[in-house]
Amino acid sequence: MKNRLHVLAVLPAICGLSACLTSPAVAAVSDDEFNALKDLVNKQGQRLDQLEKAHEQDQKTIDQDKQVHEQDQKEIQNLKQRVDDTQKTATDAQQKAEAAAQVQPIHPIPEGPAATHNFTMVGDAEVQFGKTDGSHSAFVFADFAPIFLFRARDNILFEAGFDVTLQNGTTGSHDSGTETAVDLSFATLDYLINDYVTFVGGDMLLPLGTYSERTAGWLNKVPDDPLPRSLVPGSGIGAQLRGSVPLGTSGQSIAYSIYGANGPSSSDGSANHDQIDLGGNVGIKSDGSSGNLHGSPSGGGRIGWFYPLKPHYDLELGISGQTGPWNDADNRLWSSVVFDGALHLGPNIEVKGEYIYDWVQTDDVGTLNQHGWWIQAGYKLAGLSLELPLINNIELVARYDELNDGFSTKAHRFTPGFIYYITNTLLFEGDYEFAESNNPDFDHNQLIFQLSYGF
Amino acid sequence: MNRLSSLKSQWRAGFALAATAAAIYAASLAGLTAADPSSEKDVKTEKQTEKKAEKKKFSGADLYAMHCNRCHPERYATERTAAQWKTIMLHMRVRANIPAEQAKAILKYLQEDSGRP
Repeated sequence: MKNRLHVLAVLPAICGLSACLTSPAVAAVSDDEFNALKDLVNKQGQRLDQLEKAHEQDQKTIDQDKQVHEQDQKEIQNLKQRVDDTQKTATDAQQKAEAAAQVQPIHPIPEGPAATHNFTMVGDAEVQFGKTDGSHSAFVFADFAPIFLFRARDNILFEAGFDVTLQNGTTGSHDSGTETAVDLSFATLDYLINDYVTFVGGDMLLPLGTYSERTAGWLNKVPDDPLPRSLVPGSGIGAQLRGSVPLGTSGQSIAYSIYGANGPSSSDGSANHDQIDLGGNVGIKSDGSSGNLHGSPSGGGRIGWFYPLKPHYDLELGISGQTGPWNDADNRLWSSVVFDGALHLGPNIEVKGEYIYDWVQTDDVGTLNQHGWWIQAGYKLAGLSLELPLINNIELVARYDELNDGFSTKAHRFTPGFIYYITNTLLFEGDYEFAESNNPDFDHNQLIFQLSYGF
Repeated sequence: MNRLSSLKSQWRAGFALAATAAAIYAASLAGLTAADPSSEKDVKTEKQTEKKAEKKKFSGADLYAMHCNRCHPERYATERTAAQWKTIMLHMRVRANIPAEQAKAILKYLQEDSGRP
């Protein structure tokens, strides 16, 4: 910039000097002065050339600087692009890591082939303390009920449940000594044919209602069975097809089961009303020979509908029945129908019950119409949100049950009680049963405490 | 005569049971075949089902709370190994009438959180 100013300043001086030299009217100038001026002009010309060269150099420098600047800009852009790419990669990696953290299990399953066989034991154990009207109070019950599960393949399971109980001996006129009873509750081979059909064979828990299949000590909210459950057998020897079919993706499903079993029998072979034996007839006679105690097996089944709105809010309804001969002559039928229902209104409210009706053909009193029902409700005090641990662990329970055996016994009972959940599997239950009946065997109130453990 | 009628009733009962069993098996096979998305109609149905599933699909944890809490308090996944849960879920699928797909989702949830093979 300075060079340009110098050039501009020198140019008028040169022009003025030239004008003086060319004008005829100019005063006479000596040779020395002329030569001096000439030298001056030459010097100025050289100076001007130098300035022009310097200017050209400056221009070149400026152009080079511009090129360098442009290159720098390009490099900066490249670096910016790289930084953006790196940031994007980091963001993607973070998102992927977060997504993976949501999908990945807390404790990943180690890789490798899973074992094809597995033996597992589950079950429950109970201790009871009771006081029945007219009797001394006592520790009345000790029960160990293991269930052995053996998975032979992914679709084959053998399961057997036992009840090991201790009771007084019966030697002499007064109880003496102890006896240990070991009962086989059920023992079945389950073959899962496909997603919808399972074959079950053996000593089956019968799907007459849902109670018999959900009756483990730590599952019951009241320590003893509802009265009308004595009207139907809990298990039977036979074979069954069962399964569950989902209805869309709403969580609803239809459950079904159909079975054939030996069915009930007669204690003395006759068809008299007081001889019916719901629990016998297991296919092996007392003399060791095999065979049904009467000519035909019984058939039965259940169909149920499960409708969940969301977890802890659901309704289940079912109807089931069984029919078949029961006397040795094979000409008297025992038939039963059971309606069952269960409702959950949140994690703290449960209501369930059953209605049972039997038709028993007899030789001595015609057809007996036996019936009964029970309903049970539970409310967990955690629903009150009192922030009190002792209170939050309590569930209040109440049950009403009624029985009419169609001949001599009518009974009804009301049982209020509580469950204290010491842990999720260790329960302490307390109940008082207010009973009323025309049969002395049923007509007594009872206090029961039970400690149950599910494993 | 009584013996004859008894035999007839046995045959009738046996035939009825066998026919019902065959019908159930055939229906289950039909259900499995229908699940094969070979035709366009099946594909459309499958898409509709997927849309519905997106709207209302229960997770393994949801299904666990839904089915298992119906009868007993929740068991912690860490109480058993993955192999034991597989056996127990086989037992519970049969006992509690849990649909196969839902039982598998519950098993996956329990095995993932069990922390032990």
